[in-house]
Amino acid sequence: MEHRSFIQRFIGRPEFGPLVLLLVEVAIFWSINPDFLSPLNISNTLAFTVELGLIALAMTLLMTSGEFDLSVGSLFGFSPVLMWTLFNAHIMPLELGFVVALIVAALIGLVNGWFVTKLKIPSFLVTLGMLLVVRGTALFVTDGFPQRTWSAGGSVLAEALVGDFYVGPFRIYASLFWFIAAAIILGYVLTKSRTGNWIQAAGGNPGAARARGVNVDRVKIGLFMLSSVMAALAGIISSVRTSAANPNSGTGYELEVIAMVVIGGTALTGGRGTIIGTVLGILILRIMRNGIVLIGVPGLAYNIFIGAIILGMMALHSWLERRHQAGT
Amino acid sequence: MAEPLIRMQNIRKSYGRVLALDDATFHVNEREIVGLLGDNGAGKSTLIKVLSGAVPLTSGDIFVRGRKVQFRTTSDAIAAGIETIYQDSALVTQLSIARNLFLGREPIKGPRFLNRLDQEKMNEVARELLREVGISKNIPPTTPIGSLSGGERQAVAIARAMHFDSDLIILDEPTNNLGVAETQGVLSFVRNARDSGHSCIFIAHNIHHVFQVVDRIVVMRRGKVVADDIDPKTTSVAAVEDVITGMSEMAGGALPH
Repeated sequence: MEHRSFIQRFIGRPEFGPLVLLLVEVAIFWSINPDFLSPLNISNTLAFTVELGLIALAMTLLMTSGEFDLSVGSLFGFSPVLMWTLFNAHIMPLELGFVVALIVAALIGLVNGWFVTKLKIPSFLVTLGMLLVVRGTALFVTDGFPQRTWSAGGSVLAEALVGDFYVGPFRIYASLFWFIAAAIILGYVLTKSRTGNWIQAAGGNPGAARARGVNVDRVKIGLFMLSSVMAALAGIISSVRTSAANPNSGTGYELEVIAMVVIGGTALTGGRGTIIGTVLGILILRIMRNGIVLIGVPGLAYNIFIGAIILGMMALHSWLERRHQAGT
Repeated sequence: MAEPLIRMQNIRKSYGRVLALDDATFHVNEREIVGLLGDNGAGKSTLIKVLSGAVPLTSGDIFVRGRKVQFRTTSDAIAAGIETIYQDSALVTQLSIARNLFLGREPIKGPRFLNRLDQEKMNEVARELLREVGISKNIPPTTPIGSLSGGERQAVAIARAMHFDSDLIILDEPTNNLGVAETQGVLSFVRNARDSGHSCIFIAHNIHHVFQVVDRIVVMRRGKVVADDIDPKTTSVAAVEDVITGMSEMAGGALPH
């Protein structure tokens, strides 16, 4: 009896659907093309997965508080451009440029949060405006050309962010550990800390949270800043790894990141969020992109599958929700 | 008579040209349940909003235990021991009972910078409180509010007010949309609250519910308090209805007693 209720609880968890989908996906790709689970393919897939994943983790907390951020893709492109421009123009060393880029990102998040909480403008409009401002700035500053990046080799910063080494046949980048650390810390914040309770309350019923003395505006502004900083960090990691700082990179990432979070079971309307689900959502989408190419589906068909997955998962979540409500 | 818990003196509140409260004077004693009655637009909710800090008053004074207070926000009123429970709006449906009880005042354990919730303590206190307010069913404190019934939600809100030592609990239409058994439950939570030393203001459209539970009835009409000492034990429902509609004045009679 005890055992059965444990299984029932496991199935009833919002992360159960994404987990099954991930396992099915891996099984299908592997059965069609055994190279899918080769060390080389796994290493390559992981490298970019964790970069996008860093943004998705921060977005999970932001969406739990009832807001979302469309400007992350622009920041992903803008922040490395800023860092490399400062460095290439001999204004400051690379490490200082890195810190400046993160601070600028935090300020952009602050502006987003201020517009949303103080001027009461929906986050869709605010961050859409910021998306254009930041992307436009990156293009204007660089005249649309990529920045020189080759001098990063051997720097302490580059080693700390994307230093690579081999574990057996697997090539592992240091960014994987940053991703794991971020997932553990943000998971802890969301479910075990006092702040997490405020984040969920801010998304679930902001009026009730305010009436209890929770500073809803400060929670949301903080999360906007976190989301911007994580997007900047992800962009810089990606640029150091690929030795490229293109002002156009990151275009469209905001929607892929939001899709990852939603597939994982976080409610778009706020109040409920899960970091474990987001990690599963990140893997589902990135493995899908990798897998359908490996089994011979044209890469251009990728979006069809992503769209279908989003619709399917939304249907599943809404069905589970209704069953849950009826059962109690 | 001793200084009452809450005294509102000559309260006026105007919205532009509309005078919602016209020199209303009102008090609540310690350990007393006051029923606030009046037709729609009589000024009940405005009076309550002023007292809970949700809207500022135009003129007049509020005293808590004889000390003059000024409520700029709802947090000011909560700090002064006045808790307002609106139907369904005070709780976060996605969060558990325990997390709702402690929202904004969560206990933490371990080093401060870890900011770690003391879940065991929260669940322990919540379990105890649920028993205190008289929820006899065995509901675990980790249940989300969303899967509770309307009456149980009211009970959780009342339990929260009791736990955090609110002196005055204002219940705005707590029995709306509740079934018969649930209404009885809420009424008994209110009695429990008084027995453990809290005062209540009870607002309801249903006069019969008010009669079952309150010590004293206050009636408002057109922004004024027209009767503030009706004893539900010696007065009939019909007589109170006459005061609410103004029929007693038209008949030229004094307050029914």
